[in-house]
Amino acid sequence: MLAEFRAPRRRNRVHEEYEAPLPVTQSPEERSDFRAELINQHVLVRNPDHIQRIYNQGYFGKGILSRARPDHSISDQWEQHKGLCLPVVSQSRYEERLKWAGAALSAQGLDDEAVSQILTKLSQPVEAEDVRREGPRPEGGVCPHTKRLRLESQDLNLSSDQDSDYDPDPGSNSGSGSGSDSDSDPDPEPVVPGPGFVLVDCDGDVRSTDSESRSGSGLQVRELRHNPVSVSEYLQLSVEEAFFLVYSLGCLSVHLHQEPLSIIQLWRTFQSQCPHFISSYAAYHHFRSKGWVPKGGGGAKYGVDFMLYRKGPPFYHASYSVVVERVDDAFRDTALRPFSWRSLAALNRITANVSKELMLCYIIYPSDLSEVELESPDCLSRLKVQEVMVSRWVSSRERAEQDDI
Amino acid sequence: MAERNSTDSAESRYSEILSPSELFAARSRCHKIPVRGQKDFFPNDSDEQRQRLEQSLSEHWSLTSEERVERLGNLVKATWIPSDQVVELQSPAGKFWQTMGFSANGKQYLLPEEALYLMECGNLQVFYKDLPLSIQDGYERFLSSNTVSLLQYQVFGHLKRLGYVVHRFDPSSQPSTYARQLNLPQSQDKAGRPLKRKRSVSPTPMPTSSRTEKQDSTTEMMEVDKDEKDGKPPGSHLTTSPETLEVQCSATSTADEDGGRTWWAGDVLECKESNHSTTSTSSSRWDFSSIPFPDLGSRESLSDSLTSPDPSLLPGGLAVGVCDVATWRQKINLRKVAMSSKEQGREDDRRRRRGDVNKDREVQQCRNWTEYQELMARRQSRCDGRPAHLWNREVTPLHDPRQPLPTRELLEKISVIKSTNLLEGVSRLKESDEWGICFSVYQPDSVAEFKKSNPGKPYSHMCVCSFDGPVPDLRAIKLLASQTGDVPVVFAVVDYGDISFYTFKDFQLPLDVYP
Repeated sequence: MLAEFRAPRRRNRVHEEYEAPLPVTQSPEERSDFRAELINQHVLVRNPDHIQRIYNQGYFGKGILSRARPDHSISDQWEQHKGLCLPVVSQSRYEERLKWAGAALSAQGLDDEAVSQILTKLSQPVEAEDVRREGPRPEGGVCPHTKRLRLESQDLNLSSDQDSDYDPDPGSNSGSGSGSDSDSDPDPEPVVPGPGFVLVDCDGDVRSTDSESRSGSGLQVRELRHNPVSVSEYLQLSVEEAFFLVYSLGCLSVHLHQEPLSIIQLWRTFQSQCPHFISSYAAYHHFRSKGWVPKGGGGAKYGVDFMLYRKGPPFYHASYSVVVERVDDAFRDTALRPFSWRSLAALNRITANVSKELMLCYIIYPSDLSEVELESPDCLSRLKVQEVMVSRWVSSRERAEQDDI
Repeated sequence: MAERNSTDSAESRYSEILSPSELFAARSRCHKIPVRGQKDFFPNDSDEQRQRLEQSLSEHWSLTSEERVERLGNLVKATWIPSDQVVELQSPAGKFWQTMGFSANGKQYLLPEEALYLMECGNLQVFYKDLPLSIQDGYERFLSSNTVSLLQYQVFGHLKRLGYVVHRFDPSSQPSTYARQLNLPQSQDKAGRPLKRKRSVSPTPMPTSSRTEKQDSTTEMMEVDKDEKDGKPPGSHLTTSPETLEVQCSATSTADEDGGRTWWAGDVLECKESNHSTTSTSSSRWDFSSIPFPDLGSRESLSDSLTSPDPSLLPGGLAVGVCDVATWRQKINLRKVAMSSKEQGREDDRRRRRGDVNKDREVQQCRNWTEYQELMARRQSRCDGRPAHLWNREVTPLHDPRQPLPTRELLEKISVIKSTNLLEGVSRLKESDEWGICFSVYQPDSVAEFKKSNPGKPYSHMCVCSFDGPVPDLRAIKLLASQTGDVPVVFAVVDYGDISFYTFKDFQLPLDVYP
């Protein structure tokens, strides 16, 4: 008796446009060669272009500084200033960031005088022409302005044993890191420079108390300064997403210590990292090959392994919460996650409260699958997937009259 | 009713007959169920709260300790027969007979769980060795491992109080897949014995029903003919003129009283022969190996015209002449390749370049075939730019992004994992004792026209388990799915009287391609 399929619910307000189902292109001219790094058992994509394409076409991954889409920006407020479109920060925030830069420099062993010298030089106002000369958004390359910066204060390039937020790569300073949403020029005239520049609102402290000064926009003075600390956002991919992009689509390469990993190496690495990688990857692969978007990380929110979205999270509410189970040939559980009626009832309640349906996804392993075969992703074709919907039936009369079980 | 018992306290335990004043008091007592009121969320040690709680507790206590009063005349009397584990009715049954109980040997019987339920409702009084059984006796005697367990009875009672019709599950009453295909109704009643069937005129013994659906009879004619292997005319013979045959046969069939399906071979032939004087191939079997069927698609040289077929193969009155198939044979086995101008240009370039391979210096430097292959591989990877670490190892990606595909085909390409359904592989599994279907449940709306002899398709099948027990794994779900046919299986989970129902249903996620 087959469970009926209920159409997914559209979200009320959709802010985004749908680009493509998967980040492999339909046209042969565009290249789909993305690069990711395996750092501390996390797969991170650093190139902002790659981040945009991988996220926008298929909703893979999560920005490490954002809720979902990597759209971290230094400020929410962007303004135009002499033909440039720049983020605006208040004076207090600017000074705070200067302090961070100072702290980082002192931690590298510079004495206080050198630090204050560098900081003073850094906080000089910048001419708009210099910024414009730099050009819009240098793509990972080294622009002349940042090169000059680098020679002056080389120590500003923070080393990689600092916070993981900071850009560890010395070659690309503030020019290349951020995946902020400065991707699109809102107007054709103003130029959006790289994230190395900000507009500082000089009377920022006064603004919060005195509302009149805010209304008069001519009173506010904006100064163009360097961004003392540039925080770049990466895209973090889960192991299933990363392996899918590498193996099924062939568009991503994962590098470990600058060395690209082959598919088998990646498979084995992930298997050693996550004990149930094969089962959860098999489920992920199955859902992707049906055209649905599975997002992991629902564990903390809904208590399940995946949430299935149709088309993508911005368009529809998730339709299914999926729990992945592994069974052997005789369909006996090996209990990745043993259920009792109590926990099943609780999970069912939670799922019903968020208007989703609970699905158990059983991965069936044939009995003659040896350990050797499991070392290679070719074993995937021998697995089978069984989907079962769990729902609660209410026996009272009103419900029975409305719909079938 | 007016009898007065003695006021002896020893006998008052068994006195079921009330004095008039007691009866009046019982009849006029309040029927209201105490209102629960608003919940208090935490104890706050106040007098008011304590008073309220005490009052509602005492209301509930007095309600549950009430004795039930029934008219003796309303009670149906029955006796318990432990050897058969059934209850035999002594007085005529009431309204409950419409959905409960069964007849056997001219007597009326009730199943133990039904009897217990009716006892609790106050409609039935069961005697054993001439003594009436109390409710506790009923629970102790009627519920055992041979009949139903306590958990199952709790589910039974719960559903019956909501109005559903609940019968014991009978696995043999599940129609086989073939019978389901033919949409045959069940021909057995609840007690598992076949109903008496009216005899119909048919040479072969098969269960027939009293329906005369023409649609079904035509299709079944074809289907059954394909399966039966004894000497009957082949299906093709009948397809040519089904209408005429049908008209005659239905005329004969409606002549029958029960209107059974009398479209069996013998009848068909009789119908046919009564109308057509020519007796072509009556009951002779056709030898297909000797009848040549022209193969129009073969490349071997066949003549361009087909001879007219043997008139004995055709239905009477049909004459077919020689058929000219020359134009047809010209059109088949053709392959048309449509290339755009760009592709055509590329094809031409390739053809032109092919002649130059020997003039290629690098090729001339290759001393043997292996070196040439290596050169080609190097060139390939260089001009393609495919990452070597992905493509030159044992396992390669499933898709090459340099060869774009539309989404639907791409999804199909990467679908290496197959989905399966619940009924697959079930035959391998052995029966398990743990999980079994107990009851068939029918919807309450159909009570009015419910017939015990022909209940129809159940609304669901119930499997009862305890809340402290295990959750069914895939094995149990598959076993139950194979037992149930196409009726959904509902798990009734009993937690000391609280019952929740869960279903585990098969599902296939649909393909979603957004262009």
